[in-house]
Amino acid sequence: MANDDTWVIIPVYNEVTVIAQVVADLHTTFRNIVCVDDGSTDGSAAQIATTAAHLVRHPINLGQGAALQTGLCYALARPGGRFFVTFDADGQHRVADAGRMVDAARSGFADVVLGSRFLDQHEGRPHRVPLLKRITLGLVVALSPVARKMHLTDAHNGLRVFNRAVAGQLRIRMNGMAHASELVSLLARSSWTVRELPVTIRYTEYSTSKGQPLINGINILFDLAVRDQR
Amino acid sequence: MIVQVLLVLAALGALVYFVRLAHNVHIRASKRIAFFAFIVVNIYAVLRPDDMTWTAQQIGVGRGTDLVVYLLVVAFVFGMLNTYLRQREISNHLTDLARTVALRDAELTNRDRGLVTEPLVTEPLVTEPQSSQTRSSKTQ
Repeated sequence: MANDDTWVIIPVYNEVTVIAQVVADLHTTFRNIVCVDDGSTDGSAAQIATTAAHLVRHPINLGQGAALQTGLCYALARPGGRFFVTFDADGQHRVADAGRMVDAARSGFADVVLGSRFLDQHEGRPHRVPLLKRITLGLVVALSPVARKMHLTDAHNGLRVFNRAVAGQLRIRMNGMAHASELVSLLARSSWTVRELPVTIRYTEYSTSKGQPLINGINILFDLAVRDQR
Repeated sequence: MIVQVLLVLAALGALVYFVRLAHNVHIRASKRIAFFAFIVVNIYAVLRPDDMTWTAQQIGVGRGTDLVVYLLVVAFVFGMLNTYLRQREISNHLTDLARTVALRDAELTNRDRGLVTEPLVTEPLVTEPQSSQTRSSKTQ
């Protein structure tokens, strides 16, 4: 398979109805998939065990950032990984987008390739981001000086590709949802090249119901404001 | 009023102090000194309320009771932030621990499922930078 040098990392928390299908879709393109079950209570782990994905189980719920870091640790410990993809468990990302981003990273396009749902409009494709979501995410970017400085349009997209050098140095300390902003500021302080590629998000009823509510932005800002300097 | 300046400075000081500075031995010691000083002042205030009133009037607060309440608020904020940071530190340790357990279990699980064939990794899978260890300070 063409993507033998790539690991897909999926943080999973209570996604029993969709996770098997998400893994099956991914497996047509990527052989190496690791699902990090973040202490789910709905039998997600048993569901993952029926798939071809590697399974790592947090004994307790720690948050999405922690699950991503665990998945990275696991994938880095396996031999042969050169590219590491983070992928949301709710089926909102398209496998074709992930494949395109990995191809880009492999061709030397950038050390870090981030998915952006907002780049679509420049290519004349239909804009499928719901209005409220667009305002929320636009606000996050506007409030984040680092994201602005790096010309990022979508700081909170779960679809990302890191090469091995970057993945090996990531230390996500924000266990909850603030890890997205933490990653952006980490990348901004580094010397790695970071580029965005347009991706399409499938806003199904399921993924919308599991998305971040606007109010969680306040939690994220608080976490980032009082984090200590490491 | 002088007291307003003092209280606002104390509140800002608390914020900057806890957000910006890494915990080390000096800060741990100074926190304990501050804690004992606070207790001594409180005992004194109970024994000699008139002195508190005199101090309060010198810095622009009406009564000694008010001064004690203001000091209490500042001390409370200090304590809350302290507890918050301590609790987050514990949660960081808990994360590292849970991750190590999860990764170790996963090695065995995925080996049983036939997904992992390479020999067992013996070195620790989680390698944390040393700085997070030196931070592990006891707070009071």
